[in-house]
Amino acid sequence: MQYVADLNAAKTTGAAIEIDRVSHVYAGPEGGVPALSNVSMKVGAGRFIVIVGPSGCGKTSLLMMMAGLRDHTEGRIDVHGAPMPKPDPERVGVIFQEASLFPWLTTFDNIEFPLSLRGMSKDERRRKSQPMLQLVGLTGFGERYPHELSGGMKQRVSIARGLVQDPPVLLMDEPFAALDEQTRMTMGHELLRIWETTNKTVVFITHSLTEAVYLADEVYVMSPRPGRMIDHIMVDLPRPRTYEMMATDTFGRMRDRIWQQIRKSH
Amino acid sequence: MKYWHIILIRAAILALVLGAWELAPRWGLVNPMLLPPLSDVLVTLQIQLARPTVQEAILITALEVIVAFIIAVPIGAAAGVAIAEFPYAGAIFKPMLFYVFSIPKSIFLPMFILIFGIGFQQKVAYAAFTTAFVVLMSATAAVESVKSDYILVARSFGATPLQILRRVYVPSMMPVLLETLRISMIFNFTGVMIAEMYASRTGIGHLISNWGENFQMPQLFAGVIMLSVVAIAFNETVRYLEARCSTWRT
Repeated sequence: MQYVADLNAAKTTGAAIEIDRVSHVYAGPEGGVPALSNVSMKVGAGRFIVIVGPSGCGKTSLLMMMAGLRDHTEGRIDVHGAPMPKPDPERVGVIFQEASLFPWLTTFDNIEFPLSLRGMSKDERRRKSQPMLQLVGLTGFGERYPHELSGGMKQRVSIARGLVQDPPVLLMDEPFAALDEQTRMTMGHELLRIWETTNKTVVFITHSLTEAVYLADEVYVMSPRPGRMIDHIMVDLPRPRTYEMMATDTFGRMRDRIWQQIRKSH
Repeated sequence: MKYWHIILIRAAILALVLGAWELAPRWGLVNPMLLPPLSDVLVTLQIQLARPTVQEAILITALEVIVAFIIAVPIGAAAGVAIAEFPYAGAIFKPMLFYVFSIPKSIFLPMFILIFGIGFQQKVAYAAFTTAFVVLMSATAAVESVKSDYILVARSFGATPLQILRRVYVPSMMPVLLETLRISMIFNFTGVMIAEMYASRTGIGHLISNWGENFQMPQLFAGVIMLSVVAIAFNETVRYLEARCSTWRT
């Protein structure tokens, strides 16, 4: 309930996540390696934000910092009005790349993993995971093990697991990178549907420019290491998004603008 | 190929080997002094199992194996986990341990005799010494087999270090751990046998070595059967557990 209050506070300031002049230097064997340089962004509650940038630009590091999984050397990161010194699953759900389901647990047990850490009873856990399974379109697959599921299905389970504690913020680190093109498109579409029914704030990292424009309200473009924000694009395509929009000029222009920014920064 | 076909062929091969063992010495194809017929060996086995000295030897060998195992597994496992978990310790000790691991342990046997004599302690110490290295190497591999992704996921959901140990490390390592248990028991058993055969007053290894020296082939083969049955039984039990907990590994 505490976070309901925080949520309201966030609404008045309009920001679910606030990143203020964050820099980070890694300790390397040859001295410090700058990874992020003076990154600032403000994510409005309920917005779908996509961060794109070349490999190694520090976008995953930035996401891990928002999740409280990694420290930063300078600056401030607030999620719903408070910093994240350590992970807080009630504020932030993280969805990783494909390989992150526990292979020794069934779909149900994977989704319920966060709940079981908090000692919730089996019945109560099942009551919460059942609707999640339905939300991600996997009703009937609860007793399967990850190796019995396709790549797309695994990622659906992973999304359900990220949503099961109903955090206001979802952080997604290239969740569809390991999927084939068709599954990837379907999953993007599914994600938008889930996002629209749950009103989450999403920060999504990807390499795919098409995916970025298709999903996002706003796209942030990062430079190569040390990562800086070099562009911020408002995607004003109407919702719900359709596959046909990808063929429009507006879509192409935005995609092109991101590409030019990335190319210039090299 | 169908499963029962495989079973059938296996049974046929077994019958062929045992049949040959029985008939070859009887038909004079091999020297019965060197290879006594199977039926003679089985009769000898029955007689030997009834003798108090043999029963005592079995008991002592079993105790040596168990005690050495109980000492070696926790020590080896703790050291292996420490090396895998603390990169600093790993960087220092790993090369040394790999060097020592590569040395045949039996060359240290005379030192163990000088330190511990030729009794129970020496068998246990030597077997534990050889086994601990195997456990250590496998435990390191087991810890390193845990994907860092799993730990990151658990941390992101606010898991405590203890929860990460119980809910991620243990289930993730379980198949490798059982494998370790199985392999280390083979080394442990071998360690006890070598120590008993080298210098001892009792134990199955000692009896087998004696029977061999005295050219008592039926007794020698009876001893071999006795040991093989026990070793295979243990091995298969652990393998069964392994198969049961690694259905998800495919």
